[in-house]
Parts: sequence; structure tokens; C-alpha cells
Amino acid sequence: MDLLVKNLPFILQGLGMTLALSLTTLLFVTVLSGLLGVLATLRFRSLRVLVRVWVELFRDIPLIVNIFLVFFVAPLAGLDLTPFWAVTVGLSLWGSANGAEIVRSGLNAVPRHQWQSAAALGLKTWEVYGFITGPQALRAILPPFVGLLTLLIQATSLGALVGVGEFFKVGQIIVERTTMMEGWNPAFLVYGAVLVTYFVICSGLSWFGRWLERRLGRPQARPVPAAAASPAPAPQLP
Amino acid sequence: MTPEPLISLRGLTKRFGGFQALHGIDLDVEAGSVVVLIGPSGSGKSTLIRCINGLVRPDSGSLRVAGRPVDLGDEGAWQRLRTEIGMVFQDYALFPHLTVLRNMTLTPMRRLGLSRAEAEAQARALLARVGLAHKAEDHPSALSGGQQQRVAIVRALAMRPKAILFDEPTSALDPETIADVLDVMRGLARDGTTMVVVTHEMGFAREVADRVVFMAEGAIVEEGPPAALFGEPRHARTKSFLSSLRPEALHA
Repeated sequence: MDLLVKNLPFILQGLGMTLALSLTTLLFVTVLSGLLGVLATLRFRSLRVLVRVWVELFRDIPLIVNIFLVFFVAPLAGLDLTPFWAVTVGLSLWGSANGAEIVRSGLNAVPRHQWQSAAALGLKTWEVYGFITGPQALRAILPPFVGLLTLLIQATSLGALVGVGEFFKVGQIIVERTTMMEGWNPAFLVYGAVLVTYFVICSGLSWFGRWLERRLGRPQARPVPAAAASPAPAPQLP
Repeated sequence: MTPEPLISLRGLTKRFGGFQALHGIDLDVEAGSVVVLIGPSGSGKSTLIRCINGLVRPDSGSLRVAGRPVDLGDEGAWQRLRTEIGMVFQDYALFPHLTVLRNMTLTPMRRLGLSRAEAEAQARALLARVGLAHKAEDHPSALSGGQQQRVAIVRALAMRPKAILFDEPTSALDPETIADVLDVMRGLARDGTTMVVVTHEMGFAREVADRVVFMAEGAIVEEGPPAALFGEPRHARTKSFLSSLRPEALHA
């Protein structure tokens, strides 16, 4: 315990970095997923193909390879990214590919006649998405999407591999430093604390997702259409 | 000189892949008239009615509404047209996440520029007209099929359209609620609402239509006043279709 108290500023710094990494990534992933998911349902074939390529390209590359690719290849293209931004971009590319697929399948699960009757009333395309199909799709999108965000928070620990001083990396450093300087191995204690912290953050997010789901579910008594009842499964970490 | 028809189609064609759904349709709908489209399944009735508001884009031909030509390739033009021509579907298609009232006020507020108070007052008056004023705050799932369809009709009316298209409005309903919906439609016809109706309700067609149009294989086979078309069909195809119907369907 003494060890944790002694390293508290260092730990908080790492925790802050993890939270910053998570929030930035979640923001990018949410915006990009929404945008790409909507583009994938528009009637323009070229846009749909473009999104398909994005999704297949980044979803099928292991996450760690994605991050290394950005970290090592971006400088060759003249983009000098800090480790923080390399990780953010790598996670966002992978996350948006998976998120777009969740949004697309959620929107496609809204019965087609909803789109038709909204259009038949004279609503513009963005209004149909904003007022009619979007809100209805949200219930199908939310659970797998929160699952994806939870995965991404966990995946920020991969930042340790390219030298981002985030929470997991800080834990590693404390273990190594203590083992070398003080002659005892605090791995169990430190990684235990790391585990509990990630658990608290991620379960908090899951709880928030379920709360949001209940709130959205309440006024709409009609059961979700059969197609929407089986939304895209949450992606797995490659 | 006769006034120009409200809706006028010339040489309208539509192809889905290798299937020619419509072969050069010519059709005029006079303002204030009720035109009923009948014909076997797959004859192109629903495709035709969807071509009038662009839910299905015609491949070629021309469409004039209230004397103005519609640019068939311009989605903006179709969107403007849809605010002027309402549509009622077979599966009601109310928005399940919105209350009945909000279903009816959303588009009038966004397209006609009504204030919320104006739109709600209009919606409540229309709901009262179809006996559903007490359902304004409910979600559609709390309504029966017939009630939902009546809401769908007044939701279309709330846009103060020049004409309303009905695509088999009673096909998905229980027999006992069909009558309620047909009553509402009879009322609209009496009030002089221009209507284009795809239906299998031959009794309704006989009673309410000014003109009945019989379609088969994507073309108009014959058209005329209901008494003539049902009583003395000229074309063999029409005769065989009418004779395939149950007798009570014709005289209901």
C-alpha cells in the first residue's frame, strides 16, 4: 500500500493519460462510426464501396499491427505523430471500421417502410436519419457499440508498446523499478490495482450503456422488429 | 377547354433489372376525382403509384403535377413534390418511437413552417375527425391496425396535400376494421380530395371511384367509369380478372 501511496502522482499521471487516450479515441470512433455507418446505407454505390473497403481493411488487421503501422509508417509519409496520436489514430481506424459496421447494421434493421413513409411525407434525407431511422436504430446499435468502446478502453493499454506513458505502462515501470531498486517484486499488488482500475472504468461505461438503453426503451412499447433483435455482435479484439 | 389534370403521366416506364415493371403508362388524374387502380398482383399498380411521388424513380416518360413538369432525376424536386402529394401505405408505417401527435406534427412543423401550437391544434382536429382524439398522446403500438391506418390517413392530410396516394390501405387489416378505414376514405372523397387508390376492395371501387383503371403486366389494359368497367368490360383480360373475383367482392 505504501508503494502505491509513494507513487501516487506517477500513477495519477498514467491514469490521466489513459483517460485522455480513451476519451479522444472514443470521440473519434463515435463520430467516424456514425458518419461511415450512415454513408454505408445511402443509395450511392461508390460511397458504399468506399466504406466497405475501409471496414474490411482496418477491421481485418490485428489492432496491434494497426498501431505499429501508424507509428512506424506515418513518419515515412512525412507525418510525425507523437506516440499518443499514433495510438489514437491506430485505435480510431480499427474502432471506426467496427463501429461503422454496427451503425450500418442497426440502420438497416429499421424496417424499410419507415424510411419510405418518412420520405413520402417530404422529409429530407438528413431529417429521415435524424428523426426517424436514427432514433429507432439506436436501440439496436447501443449494446454492441458500448461493447466496442469498452474494448477500446482496454486496448489503450497497447499504448505501452510504443511508449505512451499510460496507466498500464506506469504499472510496468513501478514493478520494474521496485524489483531492481528495492529487491522485491510487487507485480501482484500493482497489476491487481491496474486490473481493478480498468474494471471500474469499463464496468462504469457498461452500466451507463445499459442505463441509456433502458431510457431509450421505455417510451417505445412496440417490440423491436425481428431483424433488429439480433444486432451485429460486438467485435472481438484480434 | 377542360382544365389541366392535377396529375398527368405520359409514357412512364420502369425497369427493375431484367423485369419491365411499367410499359409506357399514360394516366390523368383530375383534381377532386378518385381514380382506383385494380389488377392482379405484380401488374405494376404499386410501382405506378410509387412513381407518382418518386419513391420509385421512373426510368423515362414525363410527370406533370398541377401543371408543372417534375424533373425525374432531381431528388430535391421529388422531395418538394412529396410535401404536396400524400401517401398511405399498406402497413400504416407510423413512426413507433413517436406519439400519435408527434407523428402528425413533425412534418407540418418542418415543411409547412407551422408552429408547434398550430400543428398540434391541426393534428387534434384531424384526429377528432376520425374518432381518435383520445389517442393523441399514445404511441402507435397502443392502437389497433385500423386505428393506426386512420392515423396514417390524417397524418397525410396534415400536410394539406393536393392529392393522396393509397397503396392497398386495407390489405393488412382485420375484416372488421376495414370498414372504418373505408368510411374515412369515403368521407375524403365526398370532401373532394383527389385520390389515387390501389385496392382489392372492388365494392369500394364501384361505389367511390370516378374512374377505375385496370392494369396487367405493367400496362393499362382499360379504364372507365366503374359501372362500365365492372358491368361491361371490353377487354378479355379484364373479363378474366373480374370473373376470378368472388361475386360478393364486386357487389360489397
